[in-house]
Amino acid sequence: MSSKRIRRAEPIALIVALLVTAPALATGILASATIEPAEITIGESAQLTITSLDADTQPITLPLVSGLEFRVVERSRRIEFINGATLATTTMVVRVTPQVAGTFTIPGITPVSQPLVLRVDKDNGIGNSSLAANSSSSPSRPTIARGALPSGIHMTPDGSAFVQLSVPKRDVYVGESIPVSIEVGMRAGVVRSLNGLPMLAGSDFTLNNLSRQPERVQKTIDGKPFTVLTWHSVLAAVKPGSFSLIVESPLTVRISTRPQREAMLEDQLGDPFMQNIFGPTVQKDIKVASPPVELTVSMLPTEGRPPDFSGAVGAFAIATDISPLTAAAGDPLTLRLHVIGSGNFDRVDSAMLAHVDQWKTYPPKSSFKSNDAIGYKGEKIFEQPLIASKPGAQTLPGLTFSYFEPTTRRYETARSAPLGVTISPSLADSSLTAQQLAALTTAQPTDQSPGGLRPDHIASGSIASSLIPLYLQPRFLAIPSLLTFAFAGGWLRLRRRAADSTGRNSRRDRGLSKANRVLVQLEAAARAGDSAQFFNVARSALQRALAARWQLAPEQMSAADMDARLGSDGDSDEIRQLFALADEANYSPLQPATIDFARWTRIVRRGLTGETAP
Amino acid sequence: MIVRAQLAALIIGVVVLGCQARAQPAEGGYSAAGLYNLGNAYARAGKPGMAVLNYERASLLAPNDPDIEANLRAVREPLHLRSESRNWFERAVVLASPRMLSWIGLLGLMAVGAGLLAEQLAIRHRWTCRAATLCGVALIGLTVCNGVVLWPRLHEAVVIVNATPARVSPAPMGETSFVLPEAETVKMTAQYEDFALVQTRAGRTGWVSRANLAPVVAQP
Repeated sequence: MSSKRIRRAEPIALIVALLVTAPALATGILASATIEPAEITIGESAQLTITSLDADTQPITLPLVSGLEFRVVERSRRIEFINGATLATTTMVVRVTPQVAGTFTIPGITPVSQPLVLRVDKDNGIGNSSLAANSSSSPSRPTIARGALPSGIHMTPDGSAFVQLSVPKRDVYVGESIPVSIEVGMRAGVVRSLNGLPMLAGSDFTLNNLSRQPERVQKTIDGKPFTVLTWHSVLAAVKPGSFSLIVESPLTVRISTRPQREAMLEDQLGDPFMQNIFGPTVQKDIKVASPPVELTVSMLPTEGRPPDFSGAVGAFAIATDISPLTAAAGDPLTLRLHVIGSGNFDRVDSAMLAHVDQWKTYPPKSSFKSNDAIGYKGEKIFEQPLIASKPGAQTLPGLTFSYFEPTTRRYETARSAPLGVTISPSLADSSLTAQQLAALTTAQPTDQSPGGLRPDHIASGSIASSLIPLYLQPRFLAIPSLLTFAFAGGWLRLRRRAADSTGRNSRRDRGLSKANRVLVQLEAAARAGDSAQFFNVARSALQRALAARWQLAPEQMSAADMDARLGSDGDSDEIRQLFALADEANYSPLQPATIDFARWTRIVRRGLTGETAP
Repeated sequence: MIVRAQLAALIIGVVVLGCQARAQPAEGGYSAAGLYNLGNAYARAGKPGMAVLNYERASLLAPNDPDIEANLRAVREPLHLRSESRNWFERAVVLASPRMLSWIGLLGLMAVGAGLLAEQLAIRHRWTCRAATLCGVALIGLTVCNGVVLWPRLHEAVVIVNATPARVSPAPMGETSFVLPEAETVKMTAQYEDFALVQTRAGRTGWVSRANLAPVVAQP
């Protein structure tokens, strides 16, 4: 039963196999598909070579692999006659550039081709080039014999370039300036361009700005021509520890896409021009790194650190000077401190003289003159303006400058000698003495004076103690001030006296007019014989007058008060009698014939005007 | 009685203060002739700055001395420095020296005071009193105007060092704004430590070291 089934299935399998292989036969037969090298690092490229035996087939489509970039760099066709038969082959060279590290499987270009495996490693950062075929993982193509190189030069695997960092010492201090030189060698014809200045990898060190015009020399290294660019700069460590110092330089190189064996032949030719003619190339941007330089960075010791230490590390010496050596009081002088030597001049600082008796000091200003191209050796000059306040021979104290000497590994303090200057009296505050004036006058006789000066005056006339006008001097101003106060006081007093006199007269006039009005009323009542009216008017007028005299309200003054306040003289008795008659007249009118109106009128007048009885 | 005593005290006080104000220093004082001669000496010695300074000081004491003005011009003109010209008002109020005008002003003050008092006391001579008051006011006004004219000169200074830098800031290392020639007269408007802010007659301002300036009126 089973054998029968197998027999039935065989024709079916044959048919299926024919159906599957038919498209492959129709698209041509793939001779080979190789990738070299099979293992590269990030930043490198591999070369995929596809060879087809039939040129009439459809164009080959490049595979799509995530993380790999395929770019056709060359197509070639070859026709061979073998035993009368024509054999045409087409070769396509594809550059494969990985984007990430990992192991990639490139599927077969055609169904019958085998998949290819490409292994991509991470970049180790040291001396890479784009030609992965020349890497250490593929020792089949050692184009440069490393053993023949000068010491210290680590060429890229393809021999196209090298970067070399020269550091004079390995043990340094934080902040110390270290002169370094960076060499970038570029093989002529292979390196297309330098795409930037060399840079430090990492942030453990700082590198001073590099010149855009480095030293340029042509060298032959291992029998090949190189252009070597050299930069000189100053390096400084920013923190303590052990570090590997690497310098990288970006370059554009020409990559040969020839197969490995042909490339070896090209290297044998030696001439880059011939290589360029006979070898197809592509350009690629790479970074060439220098071999690492191990540095040990130490902190500056705290023991023995001078108070005025500003961070200067190196070898220094100081000198001081002052100019002019003779000046007038008040004239500015310049004190200079010269710090000469080698080291980190950016940390060289000095406060100069902070306070000196009889001198006025100002903040110093510094300038630096470099003796080399990198600012490692030179002279820093501090200039401090000083002004002497008093004349005479003066001595300025010496200056000090503290720094750390890395060779002796201890702090040093340089000291300068004191400086002497002579200060003469200032011209500005002088009124010349007679001798000075005579000396000036005799220095040039009058008749020789140019400009037609008028002759001297005979020294006579008043002498003023000050040039300030007298009316602005406080001592003189006291006189008009005193006079002003006196006159103002007198004037006010006179005005007040006049005002008092006027007031008294007006009050008296007002009292007389009131009394006159009352007297007129009394006379009218007397003529009419109206005793009640007469005495009422008289009583109320006297009551108001007495109340005003005693400073009482008229309506509040009772008969008892009035009797108590009135005295016992004759006028008082008459007033009491008038008040009694007024009360009596209100209740029983008095006979006019019995009343002496004239007498009572006189009594009322005296009471109103304050006159006394005769 | 009290009024008489007060008046006597006032008179005594005024006399004492007047005598003190007029008291002459035995030495170290200034006289117009002495300053003028000193200016001549400096001019002959080739120090125009100090010469102008002393002429300026002499002109304060004797404002109408023609010799002082002539020698000031004689020193300034070779240096191409502009001489100061007075207008009619300035000429009018410097008829006398400031010293004389001080006493004239005091006399005017007394006339005003006496006129006002007399007007209160003697009513019949009111117009006479008022005339005296007006005269006094005029005399005081003359003194005040003299002070107004002289006030700027009291703050002037003379450059005594040639090519004195006027800086933009009061610091020895300050940037130089312009350079002042010797014998230039400038106005000092402010001071900061050892520097003075000066203004030239052309209106330019800058900080100048006080060591290079000499004020016309030396500060006590």
